[in-house]
Amino acid sequence: MSSILRVIKFATQDFFRNFWLSFVTLTILVLALFSINLLIIFNMVAKSAITAIENKININVYFKPEIPEDQVQTVKNYLQSLIQVREVAYISKEQALDDFKNRHKDNPKILASLDELSKNPLGASLIVTAKNTSEYPKILEYLADPQYNNMIESKNFDDHQLVIERISDITQKVNTGVIAVALIFTIISLLIIFNAIRMAIYTHKDDITAMKLLGATNWFIQGPFLLEGVLFGLLSIIITIIIVYPLIGFIQPYIGSLLQTDFNLLNYFNQNFVMIFGLELLGAIVINLLSSYWAVSKYVKV
Amino acid sequence: MIHLKKISKIFYPKTVALKDINLHIRPKEFVSIVGQSGAGKSTIIKILTAEEKATHGDVIVGGWDITDIKRREVPVLRRQIGVVYQDFKLLPRKTVFENVAFAMEVCGISNKRINNVVPQVLKIVGLKDKLDRYPHQISGGEIQRAAIARALVHRPKILLADEPTGNLDSLNTKDIIDLLLKINEFGTTIVLVTHNKDIVNRLKKRVVLLDNGQIVSDEEEGKYIL
Repeated sequence: MSSILRVIKFATQDFFRNFWLSFVTLTILVLALFSINLLIIFNMVAKSAITAIENKININVYFKPEIPEDQVQTVKNYLQSLIQVREVAYISKEQALDDFKNRHKDNPKILASLDELSKNPLGASLIVTAKNTSEYPKILEYLADPQYNNMIESKNFDDHQLVIERISDITQKVNTGVIAVALIFTIISLLIIFNAIRMAIYTHKDDITAMKLLGATNWFIQGPFLLEGVLFGLLSIIITIIIVYPLIGFIQPYIGSLLQTDFNLLNYFNQNFVMIFGLELLGAIVINLLSSYWAVSKYVKV
Repeated sequence: MIHLKKISKIFYPKTVALKDINLHIRPKEFVSIVGQSGAGKSTIIKILTAEEKATHGDVIVGGWDITDIKRREVPVLRRQIGVVYQDFKLLPRKTVFENVAFAMEVCGISNKRINNVVPQVLKIVGLKDKLDRYPHQISGGEIQRAAIARALVHRPKILLADEPTGNLDSLNTKDIIDLLLKINEFGTTIVLVTHNKDIVNRLKKRVVLLDNGQIVSDEEEGKYIL
């Protein structure tokens, strides 16, 4: 028991008496963890940007003016029953005319020519939003059925096709890129942490030899270093949290206005707090313990 | 107390550091092992502290045959011997008190006893007023006295001193040797490794002269003559 207390005493003593070395080691650990969190933030912002753009894409299906409302409603019901479809909005002939007039209220010639027509020249329309951008071609395939196609005057999918393809392409590339960058970042972070701990222990190599020659067991020598590794892990995660949260608070309004979405980064971090910081803490402690153990083992062979 | 029987030490690939050494040191003896650099003096100390293993022969320390000592037994052996080094080997980030206490802490001795014994030992070596100083805050002679206090604090039967005055001026050298003599008077066996002729000749104690890894003379009240 007294031996455990002594190990704790030596660990805390060494941490504070080597203040600058502890400070530098801690800074490196915090920078590595902060980089990982930056990557998480970037990943979430990129995903939400893509989702925001995807949400803005839809197909406008314009019906011929003579098609009665009940038939349009039938098509609407049919589309809503498709698993690929998230939402279908109905715009009546009257609404379409009002919207048209509103859009051209500053153009008296167009308004005058509309007045000369005896009936509403515009047809009803449906705005179809898919669950996923890759589903649009399938939805269009269903609409190509002559049963529906004969009622339709035009579909604006062609306008969006290029955008949809680009978005799908970007989504895929961002996902692959994020995984690759995350992997590289993690490996670099691990190597930096590993090296920082090894360097810190290297400065103690003469002390370790002296302790060994005084009859200290390996555990008695390694214990404080391992404990210090855990302490470094704990402190670095606390400092990272203290830095990351204000940063999220600072960039959140920009994300909201830039992407025009209700995506909340702060909520995301709050909801996944244990998962994100718990895993980072576990990773930091494990790598600290392994590097401490390995580094000290090199010098206790006296 | 210490018995070396036909000890040889060969460093890879063919460097012979010690050859057929037979040495018997009795309890409470003060023995100086002398010789030029590379004669094998420090190798004997390293074999006695299990830093090195003899290539041939038997090593017995305090009745314990350590020839084939196991790794886990090495700390136990070292806790029974006090060692003083030329480069002191004090822990730089511990105070004088903590450095001396560390030798007792590794033995699992209680804090109460440590707080009682350490000041007494530091008083013996003349450092009772410098308990809270760090090694860099005291002189070379004081550092070596602190190292001697650390080597003595757990009351070893044997004190090995490997060139303890190598980094000290003549005044501090005299102090350290006087201290070693005082410790010897209390009944501790002292093995002093040195190449300082003046020290050895002043001591008038047993002198073992090494040359090229072999004992060339072993005399009671001997002198260091090249």
